[in-house]
Amino acid sequence: MSATSDRRITDDLLRPLLTTTARFYLLVAFLGTIVATGVGAWLYQVYAGFGLTGIRWPVFWAFYVTNFVFWIGISHAGTLISAILRLVNARWRRPVTRCAEAITVFALMIGAMFPIIHLGRPWLFFWLVPYPNQRGIWPNFRSPLVWDFFAISAYLTGSVLFLLLPMIPDFALVRDRTTGWRHRIYGMLALGWQGTTKQWHRLESAMHVMAIAILPVAVSVHTIVSFDFSMAPVPMWHSTIFGPYFVAGAIFSGIAALILAMAVLRKTLRLEEYLHPVHFHNLGKLLLLMSLLWGYFVFAERLTVWYGNEPSEMAVFNATQHGAFAPLYWTMVVCNFVVPVSILSFKKLRTIAGCAVASSTVLVGMWLERFLIIVPSLSHKYLPYSWGTYRPRPVEIMITISTFAAMSLLYVLFAKFVPIISVWELKVGAHEAHPVPAGELSDDAQEMWRPQP
Amino acid sequence: MAHRWGMAVDLDRCTGCEACVTACRAENNIATVGAAQAAVGRAMHWIRVERYWEGEFPDVRLTFRPVLCQQCDAAPCEPVCPTYASHHTEEGLNAQVYNRCIGTRYCANACPYNVRFFNFFNPAWDKPLHLQLNPDVSVREVGVMEKCTFCVQRISAAEVQAKADSKPLADGDLKPACAQSCPATALVFGDLNDPESAVSRLSRSSRGSKLLDDLGTQPKITYLAKQA
Amino acid sequence: MKRRSFIALTAVTGTSATLASCGNPEHQLIRFIPDEEHVPGVAEWKPSLCPLCSAGCGLTVRIMEGDAEIIRDGQTGLIKMGLAKKLEGNPAHPISQGKLCARGQAAIQVTYHPDRLTHPLKRSGARGSGQFQEISWDEATAQLIAQLDGLATAGTPRALAFLHGPSASHRSDLVAAFLDRFGAPPALAYELFGDEVLRRANLVSFGRLQLPTFDFASSRYVISFGADFLGTWNSPVAQSAAYGRMRQGRPGVRGTFVQLEPRMSQTGASADEWIPIKPGTEGVLALGLAQVMMAANLRPADAAGRAGTIIEGWNRGLPDYTPPDVERTTGVTAARIERLARALADQRPAVAVVSGAPLAHTNGLFTAIAINALNALLGSVGEPGGVSFMPQIEPAAGPRTAADRQPGDAPRTLSSWAAAILGGNPSPVQVALIDGTNPVFASPGSWRIRDALLKVPFLASFGSFLDETSMLADLVLPDHSFLESWTDGRPESGAATAVATLAPPAMRPLHQTRAMPDVLLQVAGRLARPLNPPLPWQTFEEMLMASYAALPAPSAEADTWTTAQQQGGWWGGAANVASPAAGSRVPAASRVPAVADRSQAAPRRYAAPQFDGDAAQYPFHFLPYASQAFLDGSLAHLPWLQEMPDVISTAMWCSWVEINTQTAARLGIAEGDVVEIGSAHGTLRAPALVSPGIAPDVIAMPVGQGHESYTRYASGRGENPIRILAPVTEPETGALAWAATRVRVSRIGRGDSELILFAGGMREHPEHER
Ligand SMILES: Nc1nc2c(c(=O)[nH]1)N[C@H]1C(S)=C(S)[C@@H](COP(=O)(O)OP(=O)(O)OC[C@H]3O[C@@H](n4cnc5c(=O)[nH]c(N)nc54)[C@H](O)[C@@H]3O)O[C@H]1N2
Ligand SMILES: Nc1nc2c(c(=O)[nH]1)N[C@H]1C(S)=C(S)[C@@H](COP(=O)(O)OP(=O)(O)OC[C@H]3O[C@@H](n4cnc5c(=O)[nH]c(N)nc54)[C@H](O)[C@@H]3O)O[C@H]1N2
Ligand code: SF4
Ligand code: SF4
Ligand code: SF4
Ligand code: SF4
Ligand code: SF4
Repeated sequence: MSATSDRRITDDLLRPLLTTTARFYLLVAFLGTIVATGVGAWLYQVYAGFGLTGIRWPVFWAFYVTNFVFWIGISHAGTLISAILRLVNARWRRPVTRCAEAITVFALMIGAMFPIIHLGRPWLFFWLVPYPNQRGIWPNFRSPLVWDFFAISAYLTGSVLFLLLPMIPDFALVRDRTTGWRHRIYGMLALGWQGTTKQWHRLESAMHVMAIAILPVAVSVHTIVSFDFSMAPVPMWHSTIFGPYFVAGAIFSGIAALILAMAVLRKTLRLEEYLHPVHFHNLGKLLLLMSLLWGYFVFAERLTVWYGNEPSEMAVFNATQHGAFAPLYWTMVVCNFVVPVSILSFKKLRTIAGCAVASSTVLVGMWLERFLIIVPSLSHKYLPYSWGTYRPRPVEIMITISTFAAMSLLYVLFAKFVPIISVWELKVGAHEAHPVPAGELSDDAQEMWRPQP
Repeated sequence: MAHRWGMAVDLDRCTGCEACVTACRAENNIATVGAAQAAVGRAMHWIRVERYWEGEFPDVRLTFRPVLCQQCDAAPCEPVCPTYASHHTEEGLNAQVYNRCIGTRYCANACPYNVRFFNFFNPAWDKPLHLQLNPDVSVREVGVMEKCTFCVQRISAAEVQAKADSKPLADGDLKPACAQSCPATALVFGDLNDPESAVSRLSRSSRGSKLLDDLGTQPKITYLAKQA
Repeated sequence: MKRRSFIALTAVTGTSATLASCGNPEHQLIRFIPDEEHVPGVAEWKPSLCPLCSAGCGLTVRIMEGDAEIIRDGQTGLIKMGLAKKLEGNPAHPISQGKLCARGQAAIQVTYHPDRLTHPLKRSGARGSGQFQEISWDEATAQLIAQLDGLATAGTPRALAFLHGPSASHRSDLVAAFLDRFGAPPALAYELFGDEVLRRANLVSFGRLQLPTFDFASSRYVISFGADFLGTWNSPVAQSAAYGRMRQGRPGVRGTFVQLEPRMSQTGASADEWIPIKPGTEGVLALGLAQVMMAANLRPADAAGRAGTIIEGWNRGLPDYTPPDVERTTGVTAARIERLARALADQRPAVAVVSGAPLAHTNGLFTAIAINALNALLGSVGEPGGVSFMPQIEPAAGPRTAADRQPGDAPRTLSSWAAAILGGNPSPVQVALIDGTNPVFASPGSWRIRDALLKVPFLASFGSFLDETSMLADLVLPDHSFLESWTDGRPESGAATAVATLAPPAMRPLHQTRAMPDVLLQVAGRLARPLNPPLPWQTFEEMLMASYAALPAPSAEADTWTTAQQQGGWWGGAANVASPAAGSRVPAASRVPAVADRSQAAPRRYAAPQFDGDAAQYPFHFLPYASQAFLDGSLAHLPWLQEMPDVISTAMWCSWVEINTQTAARLGIAEGDVVEIGSAHGTLRAPALVSPGIAPDVIAMPVGQGHESYTRYASGRGENPIRILAPVTEPETGALAWAATRVRVSRIGRGDSELILFAGGMREHPEHER
């Protein structure tokens, strides 16, 4: 049974890598076109001037920074979830971790582009980067934007490692299953993996160290992103709640992204046998928890502002609660709280479809949340004479849409070239559930899996 | 003794005439953006005359308040700037180095007074309007932030001249463009380190207060309230 | 190689490509040699004179070396020259006192305007089609001379008309002298917001045909009837400077300021007490105040002298103007009138000011006379803290007055002038010359100025821009800008001393323009039938020199001409004026009217203002007002002023219509909605601005936008409220009663960002206010 199941796992999970359908090309072409349009839009913006955006006095940040925070938030899907689940050794994590970690890396890559996209003079973006230079000046280490640079680059490095490490045995597996150029490329990626006890041991401890190390990095990243706002004396930005509020929101949106990605993958890659309803059920519980936590943060934030009745903050409060931004605000509340709580509180509704619906609304709601943190505050700073509003322009909308396409495209390509479910971890799971004597292991398993001492 | 430049704005004198607004534009090469851009919030006015209505007809009042960069001693726009484009000079001015600005617009968000303006497009002067440009003030390019400099070009010129003449700058020798033009003398500029300067004396007035003082920005501009 | 020849050479190199085709390279060389040395980066300051309004503020111009691309004799070359960089008030000048208003700051853009006319133009299409072709100055002057010779030959010199803006200067003196000696009637001055009514009232009350000067700096109480004296009226810079001192310039004394007007103006916004009043009843209020003072013996009735007694009932203590009577007429409560009267009498020196809309009614002259009487009663005429008349310098060419008018001449107001042309066959005006006025834009459509000008067979303009009036011209002879030419002016008010502002050119001309006075002198010298007697000057500079040399010298060593050029004019106290030093001409005490005012004898009595338009059909008073940026629209071409937010509405680059908050709510009009304003004489559409600072039955609109043709910045932008005004005039002066039109208002629809506002919020504490 084990031998056949091991082989089936391998076959199922490597199938997308080895057979390419027309549908794949169509999808890549479709997404690629959108991404290319977005890149074109940005280049045109650089050429024609930043004025193509809807940014204006006094709303100097809007869609681009919204996207930045949103995608950095999404990136918390992976690393955090898989690190925590790894550390607590939640068994159901095994088919989930790689999906999640991939989301992290891609979302970070997309998010990290926005600090450049939103610059007035993006060709000088490297002035944000601390390196010894002919200008003889360092960036200003007091600026949260420079902290962003450290936080994001550390997080990106960490998550890439975190994603790559457990991929090594799978690369080796693909290497051994392929010939020709694929063999050579996967061979290189496998870094000479032989599956020796020592290698397994090192991999496990590296994963363990990474899992611990990445947690504070992940928490710090979104805390620092929140500092971009809370460090500035802007009404309703300048708040101590922002760090945890942002981290909670990030995990919230991250889980939603993960659930959605898994649901899509399960359908398209026919992974029904590996991604079970119980996985969605468990992630759904987590999403419910985060939705409640998010609601708690919003309530706490709004209540203190309202009770404090500070005029400048009340201007922002009123604009969101019942002013010009109210339609967006209440949509956000429905998306982030009403819908997920009503669906996920009921075991019966916590199905794959239920979780996917809730996740979709959460993604919309969390994007709106980022927008509503940024724009209403900037629209209503202290001197009412200088109030202003914001309306996005096509270039911003196009670039925003293209980030979603970019995310999908990267994911499609990733699933094409890397087993989207960690093969060896799944097998370990299978063996932990049904241990077999070493002698009865399949060839594959013999190769791949030697029990730890 | 080092200078510490400051200003007093007497709201009891200000008539809302906006001479300061145009004078600043003329002195500091501030571009006009045109109707279409002005309509979408891109007009740049380093100094503006805020007006606020109080009451309803017929018991209605209007108050004017010229607002320019407050040259904060604890300027929120400075620490957030990643490139030191917005920075504090030794004389306590909040300086803006256009060449160093990469256009994050963070400073403008952080500035509680909304006195920072962004170049959304390359500024253009229909020829020969460009012949008016003040050669002492650099023009800004697309993507950089700009704001009131306290007419730093005039300050440096006067300081250099005083040094060359080996005599200290006298109070009133040096006026930024807005203060020089102000018909009602509502804007008084000078050295806060000189306790006898007009600006120091006005800043000690019982009518004086700082704009958004509670934010702790420590502005160097004192507003003298309208006396009722 | 010397610097000068080096520069000449570089300039020539720049043009050498095109030089081959041109006649005389030597000529080019000379043309491009800078005539002055500038040290790069070092500024020079030269005096000048702000040309933008009749206040006549003295300037200093910051000149620095720069490279200008210049066309000379058809050749383009880059030339190093002194360029004006910044205008400041001339600190020595008694009017500007080192200050400038927002418009004065923008005056520099006149010189560098991209749509300035750079060479003479001759009409190439139909009249008014706007099609012109470039011609040489020789051809242009020849055309003008031919037209004038034609009149002389035909024996109809009186068919020459000259239209200009009102300003007392050697420029206008020269025009007057030219016209006189040519045999033409005197020039016709037109200004939309002219002050003819107030001048006439001052003549009636005080014997001075002149605008008043106020000593606000020493006043303790200022009561103003609709006068925008801090914004657009009379001498705003001098008045604002004095206002500043009145408020905070005297230790322990702060002057009080009360403004009465139905729409809060920029000036009204600074008032301690702003009082809306029914349009056209300001004179009644003034007499109500006088009544209280006289009744309570707060002021002696005879203190007013003649200024009082010409008002019917004055000697009886104005029995028809008791506070309850006045309350009924003006809408200002009796208690308030009592209080104001007592405060005025109590806190002297007190002064009353009137101008603008109160005088732009059919009873405007009475209103002005009533307020003059109030000033007289307050004892503030000619006293510190009061109102006085600035000593005037007599014009070089001798005063030109109504006495010069002859029976067959076209009449003296623009409306009657136009009517005479339209009614005459042939037109009484055969050749019209236009300088510094744009009557086609700045007069009611019902006057049909455009039609009248089109009927004049030959029209020449000295304008620097193709505005609505010069568009109709056959010939355009573009003037230098003020910075490029000799300028001078004799302001009518704004200082305690006589002032003659004078400035030599501050920079060399950028374009192939010529100074209008020099063109006129050149034309005069070449007429087939010489002027009789001929003008004694070859150039305008000669004329100025002759005139200034005759003024009292500042000291034994210094001569007036040199000193005036250096300091930007001549000014002196009364003592100075009276000194018999050098001059054949000493400054006269006033602009003494040449004809005795026959109407003075009849006692004045209040008549209710007459409005055009039935109150039922046109329920609102229409109040056009001089805009802070553009005055009467003559400055709408300057982009700095277009982008300057109007201080009250914060609007830029657009027109708007001010509507009271309640009225707007009643009519379902929201801010930014496009509304239609209709009078019996036309309609216009503009976005609504909802304002708490305007009476519910008044609709106000700034003048300035709505140009059909006035450079790329103003053309086709917004609406011109003057267009729909009724042709109502103040009967005695014939001045346009521009506040006497009634209108209706209807909402058209949602505006598509036509209202461009700089400000977001209206109120400082929106939460507490709402
Ligand atoms: N074709 C042509 N070439 C010329 C000239 C010319 O007129 N025409 N002029 C010549 C002359 S006179 C000169 S001086 C040179 C100028 O040549 P460079 O000295 O190269 O001048 P820039 O390129 O303007 O500025 C140098 C760098 O300084 C950086 N920078 C900005 N602020 C700071 C700061 O605070 N600290 C530091 N360390 N760096 C900063 C800018 O990013 C820029 O990269 O060019 C010479 N070359
Ligand atoms: N906006 C802006 N301003 C700047 C700078 C900048 O990068 N941007 N750079 C700054 C720097 S580093 C510098 S060095 C200065 C340079 O400023 P300037 O010294 O003004 O330099 P240029 O304008 O290049 O040259 C000055 C003039 O000298 C003329 N010239 C050429 N050869 C000769 C000659 O042999 N003799 C004489 N007498 N004249 C000659 C040229 O025609 C030119 O018009 O500008 C400073 N100002
Ligand atoms: S007013 Fe604004 S721009 Fe000026 S120093 Fe203060 S924070 Fe900076
Ligand atoms: S916009 Fe320019 S000045 Fe402002 S923070 Fe960014 S780099 Fe600094
Ligand atoms: S101090 Fe200078 S830069 Fe600042 S507002 Fe005044 S004129 Fe403008
Ligand atoms: S120039 Fe002076 S009086 Fe006029 S608006 Fe500015 S500060 Fe006020
Ligand atoms: S008041 Fe203003 S526009 Fe008129 S002359 Fe003076 S500066 Fe010029």
